[in-house]
Amino acid sequence: MAKSIARSEPVPSAPLAFNGATVALEPPLARYSLRARNAAGMESILGRSIPHRIGETADGISCLGPDEWLWRAAFGTSMPDGSGAPVSVVDISERQVAISIEGPRALDVLLSGNPLDLEKFAIGRAVRTIFEGAEIILIREGDERFVIEVWRSFAEFVWGVVVKAAAEH
Amino acid sequence: MSGWRIAGYGRVDRTRPMRFTWDGKALDGLAGDTLASALLASGEMLFGRSFKYHRPRGLIAAGVEEPNALVSHTRGPGRFTPNLRATGVELYDGLTAESQNRYPSLRRDIGAINDRLGLFFPAGFYNKTFMWPRSFWEKLYEPAIRSMAGLGDAPTEVDPDNYTAAYAHCDLLIVGAGPAGIDAALAASATKKRVILVDEQDELGGGALSDPALWRWLETSTKDLASAANIRILTRTTAMGYYHDNYIGAVERLTDHLPEPGTAPREKLWRIRAGEVILAQGAIERPLVFEGNDTPGVMLASAAKTYLHRYGVAVGRNVALMTAHDSGWRDIFALADAGVNIAAIVEYRDAVSPDLVTEAAQRGIRTELGASVIHVAGRHAVSGITIAANDGVLRGKVGCDALLMAGGWTPSIHLWSHSKGSIVWDEDWGAYLPDQPHEKVRNVGACGGKWDFGSGVYPGMLPTSRDTARIKAFVDFQNDVTAKDIALAVREGFKSIEHIKRYTTTGMATDQGKTSNLNGLKLASDALSLPVQQIGLTTFRPPYTPQTFGALAGHAKDALFQPVRKSNIDDWAEEHGAVFEPVAQWRRARYFPGDGEDMLAAVNRECLAVRSAVGIFDASTLGKIEVVGPDAAEFLNRMYTNPWKMLEPGRCRYGLLLKEDGFITDDGVSARLAPDRFHLTTTTGGAPRVLGMMEDYLQTEWPDLDVWLTSTTEQWSVIAVQGPKARDLIAPFIRGIDLSPESFPHMAVREGTICGVETRLFRVSFTGELGFEINVPAAYGRTVWETLFAAGQAHGITPYGTETMHVLRAEKGYIIVGQDTDGTVTPYDAGMEWAIGKKKLDFVGKRSLERSDIVADGRKQFVGLLTEDPREVLEEGAQIVDDPQQAIPMTMLGHVTSSYWSASLGRSVALGLVAGGHGRMGGKLYVPMADKVIPVKVSETVFFDPAGERLNG
Repeated sequence: MAKSIARSEPVPSAPLAFNGATVALEPPLARYSLRARNAAGMESILGRSIPHRIGETADGISCLGPDEWLWRAAFGTSMPDGSGAPVSVVDISERQVAISIEGPRALDVLLSGNPLDLEKFAIGRAVRTIFEGAEIILIREGDERFVIEVWRSFAEFVWGVVVKAAAEH
Repeated sequence: MSGWRIAGYGRVDRTRPMRFTWDGKALDGLAGDTLASALLASGEMLFGRSFKYHRPRGLIAAGVEEPNALVSHTRGPGRFTPNLRATGVELYDGLTAESQNRYPSLRRDIGAINDRLGLFFPAGFYNKTFMWPRSFWEKLYEPAIRSMAGLGDAPTEVDPDNYTAAYAHCDLLIVGAGPAGIDAALAASATKKRVILVDEQDELGGGALSDPALWRWLETSTKDLASAANIRILTRTTAMGYYHDNYIGAVERLTDHLPEPGTAPREKLWRIRAGEVILAQGAIERPLVFEGNDTPGVMLASAAKTYLHRYGVAVGRNVALMTAHDSGWRDIFALADAGVNIAAIVEYRDAVSPDLVTEAAQRGIRTELGASVIHVAGRHAVSGITIAANDGVLRGKVGCDALLMAGGWTPSIHLWSHSKGSIVWDEDWGAYLPDQPHEKVRNVGACGGKWDFGSGVYPGMLPTSRDTARIKAFVDFQNDVTAKDIALAVREGFKSIEHIKRYTTTGMATDQGKTSNLNGLKLASDALSLPVQQIGLTTFRPPYTPQTFGALAGHAKDALFQPVRKSNIDDWAEEHGAVFEPVAQWRRARYFPGDGEDMLAAVNRECLAVRSAVGIFDASTLGKIEVVGPDAAEFLNRMYTNPWKMLEPGRCRYGLLLKEDGFITDDGVSARLAPDRFHLTTTTGGAPRVLGMMEDYLQTEWPDLDVWLTSTTEQWSVIAVQGPKARDLIAPFIRGIDLSPESFPHMAVREGTICGVETRLFRVSFTGELGFEINVPAAYGRTVWETLFAAGQAHGITPYGTETMHVLRAEKGYIIVGQDTDGTVTPYDAGMEWAIGKKKLDFVGKRSLERSDIVADGRKQFVGLLTEDPREVLEEGAQIVDDPQQAIPMTMLGHVTSSYWSASLGRSVALGLVAGGHGRMGGKLYVPMADKVIPVKVSETVFFDPAGERLNG
């Protein structure tokens, strides 16, 4: 649906550049939480294959758990709702926002609040984890580019810690 | 004046003098000094007053084990740190430090009277004295003891510094960069392993910094390590705790050593996950126990060597040694070779290696074998010692201005102990050594017993001809524990070191007994005539050295202390003067005061506006769960008390959620959007708990159901518009929904658009008025709100907050779970039998509702309470009785759960839980307060529009 009225976001829309790391709110996306007993159940609804291994991403669909996927697509993309089938498709486009961290120090900035071994975190990987105690989904989009998906009301806090860590050098 | 700087010695930079202030006195040091070495070089021997007896104390050590020289460091407003070891304070130009635990000055301290009264301060003194009268403890004894005993002052100002934190991962973590740690790191540099090397000092080297023979090797090694791409070196970093699965906490000090700390973080908390850990913590020299061993100027031999070689400071001009270990001889030879006069070597052992005797003779040093120091002369500084043979024959007095102690070495097994590695007693070391690991960890060097310090013996207390009950021979310097305290504890029946430790406080000071534990053990062992192994060893616990709260807090300070969740409309509320209140992690607008309005006035105005026109309320924080799947209705039917399977799409139902025990845990209105899709709401605070509980049932009890739960709390902004003009207000902006009461009745849901944005429009009410809850995708919440607010001006729109919401719902008798319920209220107690599906075979909590005590008479039940004086507003939490004349303690029937002034009714209303309340309708009860007794009448819970006609407008 076309939306012409103004959005408000929980963090500044303008990117903040620091020495070695730029922190930015990413543009809006369509997001769907996909649930099914197994990948095949969801594939039959979507008419496409989806990743089977937790952490893998293919064409915007990330496998977050044995029965859970996150689809991130262009803003406004709609989805079959799976009505009647043993699946769950829920629009969560606005539940969370995406904060990108990019630059040679992106990894250091993330390690200020995330306990994963990010040096071994492959490009394309997406997992649910935490950042300074707040639940996030962390996606590595490039060698020096990461995206944090975080629920709206936690975004201000996560942004604050990210910016503090980025500014510390 | 004893210590002095020796030309040609030390690693300090003589071209960079540093001026600093000690107790208000300006002194000079050099770059590379610690506060301890600079003070020593300035001739200072007196560093502090002891904890209990206020005895004058000097330096004992040169490193982290220092128990005496605790100082306060000041560097501007708020930047005050007490209890720092002077041996760990790096000197910078302009440093200001002060001594502690003395009044009015370090030299003239009136607390020192305690030392003369020492006979009255035995072990267990606090437990034995000050018991009577009991009431004196809190007001007199404890404050007096606290101000006398003790450490530095607690900071009183807000800490202006910020702190940071990071996680790190490595294949190998090496703790300690002495020779053994450096060797381990060099070996690892040839591998592909990710290595982290941490050391608490400002430069790598550890013990090698005090050994010029190793300096060339150290320089080369340090360069090699610095250029190794796989090694991250963290200096000024203390590995302070070793936790499960090779998780190590370390604190890096970033700015404390800088003349200008600036705005950079002061400290950084490292949380390191290591594949393997190598501990290279080294060993700490042990003092010897004899009378006067705490006199300023009596210190560890290894410390004297470090002050000489690392800082170029001689600890005295005429130095004696009391030793039971070869290493003491080596250390004092180093002083002799630097030109320091050696007064005597007193050796406890009857015989030592002939090489040592020969070397002493070559240097012309007087040696006394088979002898001990039995007395130290001097109060603020050593002036001489008395020597006696171990059989008691006096050997004479010797003048000296410093006395070194060499009591052998204690391997540092602190982190090993944190990691739950086992330990084993070793006679050669007279100490416990690491045995079997519990984690993937190894020890290298001295901490693993793999270092050659020479040989020695461990005499416990040195022989003395004096009355041991009347002398103070210190074991734990920081906590002022003497040998006779331990003897007393044993005499009084304590046999385990765990008890002896707690009774005497040995090893319980901030240094965790780094210099005292083993001597304490040995003394207890001697007193009990039991081997040390049977007495045990106390457990070391993190932190290895004291750390600041700031470092442990990391980022969690001020705005980053914890997340404050805000809705999309929160900014608007702030701009419009809302007063906020925290609700779970959220902050919510409580009321919107106009000019000069207090809360009561604002809430009265807001309440009347909702009842007469229309109010607008941010309900975004309500928990929301989308329940989807073919078994969605079956699932909800099992979770909630009431029936859900027949609910038609497009309709809403109030759901009451019990726990297994039959007590109310949450509630909310939920809508069926499609046969297999529900939109649930929960209370704001209950959202995570309810989702967790439902997931738990789904995964463990009913894994066969095809239904999934997705939290959509944050997908939607929720705007409640409530009041007789609610429909008029929203109608112009709604598309695709027929708002007429016939097609869109109370408790229905429709999907369409508002202001061009998709909406799930609920016709529901928590106020008793005609009302809608407008769900729009979260990002559009504020714009839709502003659009409605602007259009609502014509209708008298009034924003209201949670306080008004509470009043409006109380007027209608709607419960708030957690306020009107407390985890012991059943649906029957709450008067909500109507919410129970009597024909349902099962639901969560159903069986419990049949328990005998749940169906028994006299349970506390939810009722209305009307004060006889309509102007009297009860206090929430006030107790309710039926006879105010009865004796105290009265029999309490229940308490007031909700109480407000109702502007709509022009009187107070209250709700409460009262024993047998449903049978007391119209009866009179009393609420006793401190200054009066308030009579109340028990009533139904619905005070306003009992017929509910307004809802259906």
